[in-house]
Amino acid sequence: MHIMEGFLPIEHAVGWSVAAAPFVAWGIRSVNHRIRENPEQRMLLGVAAAFTFVLSALKLPSVTGSCSHPTGTGLGAVLFGPAAMAPIGAVVLLFQALLLAHGGLTTLGANIFSMAVVGPFAAYGIFHLARRLRASLAVSIFLAASLADLLTYVTTSVQLAWAFPDPAGGFTTSFLKFAGIFAVTQIPLAVSEGLLTVVIFNALARFNAQELRDMGVAPDAKGLA
Amino acid sequence: MLIEQSAYANRWRGVAPAAKGLFALGGLVAAFIVTHRPAAGLGIAALLATVTLGGARVAPGLYLRVAAPALFFLAISALSLAVSVAPEAQGGLGLHASPDGQALAAGVAGRSLAGLAALLFLVLTTPLTDLIALLRRLRTPEVLLDIMVLCYRTLFVFSGAVQDMRTAQAARLGYGSRRQTLRSLGGMAANLTVQIWQRAQALHLAALARNNDGPLRFLTTPHPHARRDIALAGSGATALVMLAWAARMVTP
Repeated sequence: MHIMEGFLPIEHAVGWSVAAAPFVAWGIRSVNHRIRENPEQRMLLGVAAAFTFVLSALKLPSVTGSCSHPTGTGLGAVLFGPAAMAPIGAVVLLFQALLLAHGGLTTLGANIFSMAVVGPFAAYGIFHLARRLRASLAVSIFLAASLADLLTYVTTSVQLAWAFPDPAGGFTTSFLKFAGIFAVTQIPLAVSEGLLTVVIFNALARFNAQELRDMGVAPDAKGLA
Repeated sequence: MLIEQSAYANRWRGVAPAAKGLFALGGLVAAFIVTHRPAAGLGIAALLATVTLGGARVAPGLYLRVAAPALFFLAISALSLAVSVAPEAQGGLGLHASPDGQALAAGVAGRSLAGLAALLFLVLTTPLTDLIALLRRLRTPEVLLDIMVLCYRTLFVFSGAVQDMRTAQAARLGYGSRRQTLRSLGGMAANLTVQIWQRAQALHLAALARNNDGPLRFLTTPHPHARRDIALAGSGATALVMLAWAARMVTP
């Protein structure tokens, strides 16, 4: 769910950009470090960004029968780690604004914060926590992808509620209003995306285990290949 | 992608991207100046849309189709701003249309429409490659530019792959039921996931074969009238901002 161009007041637009910038900068630093060690990975992020963009354009049948688009944050965070997801997400969100008019330039910082910072970190943390608690790979992946989606949408609702507190009830009422309205589309989407990500990992483990092992993919996703 | 079609086919394709960027920036600034003045916001939006449709000759139908998702978001969000949830006298919660909320919703809608029109002006007249070249001139970090260049190139390669896989899956009734659809989409995404590493490796080898181990540079289109374009766009942007200021002064 992208906040559209011009929707946030200027202080909030600038504030969220300032909040998102260190994560993107840190991501770029860690990516540069990784490329110095493995020069053959220098094309990886650009290609991964294109993958995320194309994935987010797929139409996913939603539980309620409507259609929605996956975010790909859960999958990306487990494959590439949350640090790399910040610059990848920043570029994907910029492209979505410039090529699809989803989101905007002044709201880019807020959208990066919810979708390329909170989502991936949540997915990564939940995935590893679930694995440590001995949940199966499928359950861990499902929880990571769907809860990352939910947290992204909660973050967006917080951003909107903070910018526009309810005249009567303040922040809390406003948050409940935004979260309630967007829950109609976002909760089914979280379930669908969780299921889709499990199917993706099952297919990867079943058909491409050797390739993934050879390429040293997802060293963090223990038990995947 | 509709925006790409228009960006390459509009009448102002050859105008310097810096000029179009400057005018769009003027539109964005104007949008924020007229905050909480819905009529002025609508006016700025209409002006920007007129320039896009009349000046750059973007098709009106295409313009509306591109704007539709953002307008849908605006409708839902403005609605939730306009109504207020408050406890009722006889217990429970009730929905009220509050005058404060309606004024806020109208103000935000005006600003958002003006901002959206400025964004649409930029993206519907300027191809992304030109925008990336503009970002390079504005000293964007090289790593981000490299990701953008590669992302833009690979985007269409992946889109082609998705279309082919979809056709193949559909021919085998892969989208017959909802369960099948999820399975087919998962298989397709898994296939694409493996291609990330394969294509990145192939691109790396291709770059090495051409002795490239640094940033990816491409020739940019020359814009012989860049100065004139920038001067014109600059005066247009200034006029927009001054108009917005005037509207702000006139309306309370």
